[in-house]
This record gives sequence, C-alpha cells and structure tokens, in this order.
Amino acid sequence: MAAAARTEAAPGGGTGIGGTGGRRLRKRLANGWIFLIMVIIAVVMLFPFWYMLDNSFRNQAQFDQQGGHSLAGWTQLFNELPVGSELLNSTIVCAAAILIILAVSTTAGFAFAKLRYRGSGMVFLLVVAALMVPLQSIIIPEYVNLAKFGLINSYFGAVLVYAALGTPFATFLMATYYRGISDELIEAAVMDGLGYERTFLSIALPLSLPAIATVTVLQFIQIWDDLLVGLLFLPPGQRTITVGLAALSAGRTTSIPVLMAGSFISAVPAIVVYLIFQRHLIKGLTLGMGK
Amino acid sequence: MTATEVGRPQAAAPARRPVRSKLARRRRRAGILLSLPAVAVVVALLGVPIGQAVYYSMTNWNGITATWIGPSTYSTALTDPIFWRVIQNNGLLLLAIPFAIGIPLVIAALLNEHVRGWRFFRSVYFLPTAVSWVVIGMVALQFFALNGSLNHFLGDVGLGSVKTNALAGQGTALLALAITFIWSMLGTNTIIFLTGMATLDPTVTEAARVDGLTRWQIFFRVTLPLLRRFIQFSFVITVISAFSALFSLIFVMTGGGPGLGTTTLEFFIYQSGFAQSQFGTGALYGIILFVIMIVVGLVQLRLIRSEDGEGW
Repeated sequence: MAAAARTEAAPGGGTGIGGTGGRRLRKRLANGWIFLIMVIIAVVMLFPFWYMLDNSFRNQAQFDQQGGHSLAGWTQLFNELPVGSELLNSTIVCAAAILIILAVSTTAGFAFAKLRYRGSGMVFLLVVAALMVPLQSIIIPEYVNLAKFGLINSYFGAVLVYAALGTPFATFLMATYYRGISDELIEAAVMDGLGYERTFLSIALPLSLPAIATVTVLQFIQIWDDLLVGLLFLPPGQRTITVGLAALSAGRTTSIPVLMAGSFISAVPAIVVYLIFQRHLIKGLTLGMGK
Repeated sequence: MTATEVGRPQAAAPARRPVRSKLARRRRRAGILLSLPAVAVVVALLGVPIGQAVYYSMTNWNGITATWIGPSTYSTALTDPIFWRVIQNNGLLLLAIPFAIGIPLVIAALLNEHVRGWRFFRSVYFLPTAVSWVVIGMVALQFFALNGSLNHFLGDVGLGSVKTNALAGQGTALLALAITFIWSMLGTNTIIFLTGMATLDPTVTEAARVDGLTRWQIFFRVTLPLLRRFIQFSFVITVISAFSALFSLIFVMTGGGPGLGTTTLEFFIYQSGFAQSQFGTGALYGIILFVIMIVVGLVQLRLIRSEDGEGW
C-alpha cells in the first residue's frame, strides 16, 4: 500500500503519453489496494453479526463442535425469555421517554432561540451543562428518590430517568436548529395575532421536523440499547429486551446459541432504525458532536 | 429589557412603542413558560440528585438512614488501595484511546479517496453504533473464550501455542475489554473524521500534490492539522465513553473480574451501591467520576460553543 501510494504520487509524470498512462495505472492500482483494505475492515465489522446468526441456529453440542445447524437456539430462546413482551416493553419505554424529551426540548429550544428573556442564556447553559453529569454519578440518589415515590414498580421511573438524560442534548440540538429560522418569520406570525405559543405550534414546530427526526433516532437507539437504567428502575415483568438479555446471560446457565439468538433479535430493531434513518443519526452525531 | 430587544427588526416608529412593549412582555412570559418544563426535568432528575450525591458522599448511608461523617470520607476513600486499583484500570483503558482515534483516522482517509462502494463501506463501519454494548459484549465473550473464535483463528494460522483463556487473566481480560472498546468506537470516530475531511478545501490538498508531496506527507502535514478540532472532539467523546459508557460491556463480559481486573470506576460505583449496599461510598465515587467528567467536559463545552450556530 505504502509503496504503491509513494510511486503513484511521485513527481515527473509529464514525460509524454507513456508517463501519464503509467500514472493512471498506478492510481488504479492504489485504488485497488484501498478497496481490498476496506473489504477486510468490513469483514471485521460484520463478523459479529454473522457469528450471532450462524451460532443461533445451533444447539449447545453443535456450538461446542462448531458444526451442524438446528433451530434449537431459537426455540429455546422463546421458552427462556418472554421475547414478545420484552420487545413490547422496550417499545413502550422508548416511545414514552422520547415523547417527553420531544415535548420539553422543542419548547425549550424554541424559547432559548427565539424568546430570549433576561437570564435565558444562563438557563440554557445550565441545561446544556447537565450533559456532563454521568449517569453513574447520580444513579444512587436517583434510585433512592424514585423508590421513595414508588416509581420503580412500573415503567415510570425508567421513563423519567431516560427523559432526563436525553433532555440536555435534545434541547441543545433544537435550540441550534431554531436559531436558523428567521426572526422575521416568527415576528410576522406573532403580528398576525397568532401569539407566541400558537406561532410555536403551527409555524416553528412543523419547520423543525428534520431536527425532531434526529432527536428521535438518537434517543431511540440510546434507550433501546441501555442496560443500567432498565436494570435498576424496571421491575422484572416490565424489563426491556436488552435488560432481559443481560439478565439471562448473567445467570451463566443459558446455552450460548440461545444467547446468540437473543442478541440478534434484540439488535434488529435498532439496526433497522439505523439503516432507515442513518442520515439523521450522522447529522446528530456530528452537529452536536456527542454520542 | 435591553436583552429582550436583541435580534429584533429595527426602526420601530415611536408611535408603536406601547404595542411593542406589550408584545415584549408577552414574549418574555412565553419564553419562561416554554423553557420551564425542560428546566424542571433537568433540575429535578439531574441537578437535585447530584447535590444529594455530594451530601451523601460525606455520610455513612445505607439508602434509608444516613449518619454524617464529613469531608474525611474523601481522605478515607482516597487512601483505600482498592480505589487506586480501580483507578489504575481506568488509566490503562486510556492506553486504548490512541488506537480508538488513530485507526479511524486512517479508515476515514481511505474512505475519503471515494473509491467504488465507499458509501456502502461507510454504512457498514458505522453499524456498531446502533448495537447495544450488551450484544457486543455477548459476542466478544465468545470471541475471547478458550474455545472461541480468536483461539480458533490463532490455531488456523499456526499460532496454536499462544492460545489463551483471555478472560481468565486480569491483564488479558482488560486487554480484551479494551480491544472490544476500540472495535465499537471505530464507526463513530470514522464518521466524525470523514465529516471533518468533507469540510476541507480540496484545492489545498491539490496544491500540496502539485508541490510534490506524497499521499502520506499530505495526510500528516496538511490534513491532520486541519482536522485538529475534529480530533479534539473525538478525543473527548472517546474518553467519556471509556469512563462512563462501558458498564454494560463489563457487566456482560467479565462482571468486573477476575478479581478487580476489569472493575473501572463506573462499575465500582454500581458494585459499592447495589452489590454491597454502601450507598454513601458509591455516591462518593460517583462524585469523583463527575469531577473527572467536568474536566473532560469543559473541553467539550468549549468545542460545542465554537460550533454554535454552524452546521445545519
């Protein structure tokens, strides 16, 4: 690779027709090398997914020998893990938390961008600074507080914690987006007698659909994939699929093919969302620059 | 009052003042009203608990009753050899950072050559970002197991003698954890650098090429310096991830073991609080983690603010 690149870029290509032809050939050769390296990296990145799928269609004996396939992993999975209800729990928790995040971050983002009041800059900074609080630093008081209010026997506690964790970044993202909308447009709507609240609902909110999509996709993947909050704040019957899977593996008695089948099925929804909304995910990552 | 006037269209006739100030009042009220829910959520569920954590870190607390001890809890904790064993693991994990940044830089540079199929490869490399640490840990566990893929592969290429049960040794278990971490950060960091490279002016590298610089010289002398901001940013999120996002991976892969071999500070907080019911000690370690994050986060805040208002 290095050698090919070096000769390719070497000066003095202008020695007639033969020279430029050689240069093009070397360029093509270098691209061939790059393509090969990218294929190898792709294999490294895709290997775990193939591994999960391949080994989920085995029983423990077939897994140990790494030979033969059967449906054992999948049939056992549905006996050992309430897959359907845990997928539903994941969906409910994600949807509820995302709704709260969107409700508070669109309104606050609009206020911080377009309805600035004295001290709003400081308040905005306070909200965004909460990004720095690691979940582990507050998890113990949070757990005790929510237990006190009886919120860890249902979805509520986990939903609230997820909503709180997602709000700072979502608010930052929405405020950045609303700042790009012209003040004149907002002022004109207000002058027309819509009032600030109605202007937000019928003018600003529809305009911010791309940012809303970004927040939704980022948060969906984050919450769907989370373990710690779900592990502590959800009762066993309301466990999400990710938590259920981790609990199953912690037992260390479950057969590997079952865990592979569980891993695969828990990963599929987030992967599908990723494949469809990839653009929004990348936008959110690189705009706010936070995972 | 003057603050609310910022960014308004100018040249308002004096006659319209009353209307304007009435509007300004309503606008102020709407602003406070609309920002209130977000502030309430953040204060109640993030602000208050961090304050409580500071208070309880100086107590002996089991979740129900707390007895005040005072700041001496910190000197007690900071002289505990177990704490330093845990911090050592965090320090060793930092050694993974150059790889978690360097490899994606090279991958991004290759993708940026835009050879056939680069968009497809970009999607593939970014895929682990969508997958939970639980799932990644589950596969990594099998990969590094004694009868796992790694040892099979080593056997196939004639290195059967170095076959190891990586997760059974303290040092090798942490190495396995670090390798898994690097693997799953590849996509995120590659995307960041690729975005950075897309912002570069192609005429600059073209000029360097005309000046006779080789591909590698261009990469190191021209591209890298121009990407500084993106590298800083990726450094910050990689450190934050290494210190506060690996709970699930450790939980699934090693459970913090063997011994304290893979117990990092964030995992230690969980164990102190929920496995040993020492809520006060757990809160204290939480505060220490928070302080570390503030130091890293101040860098991030500076980057975010320099990014403000650009992008969309």
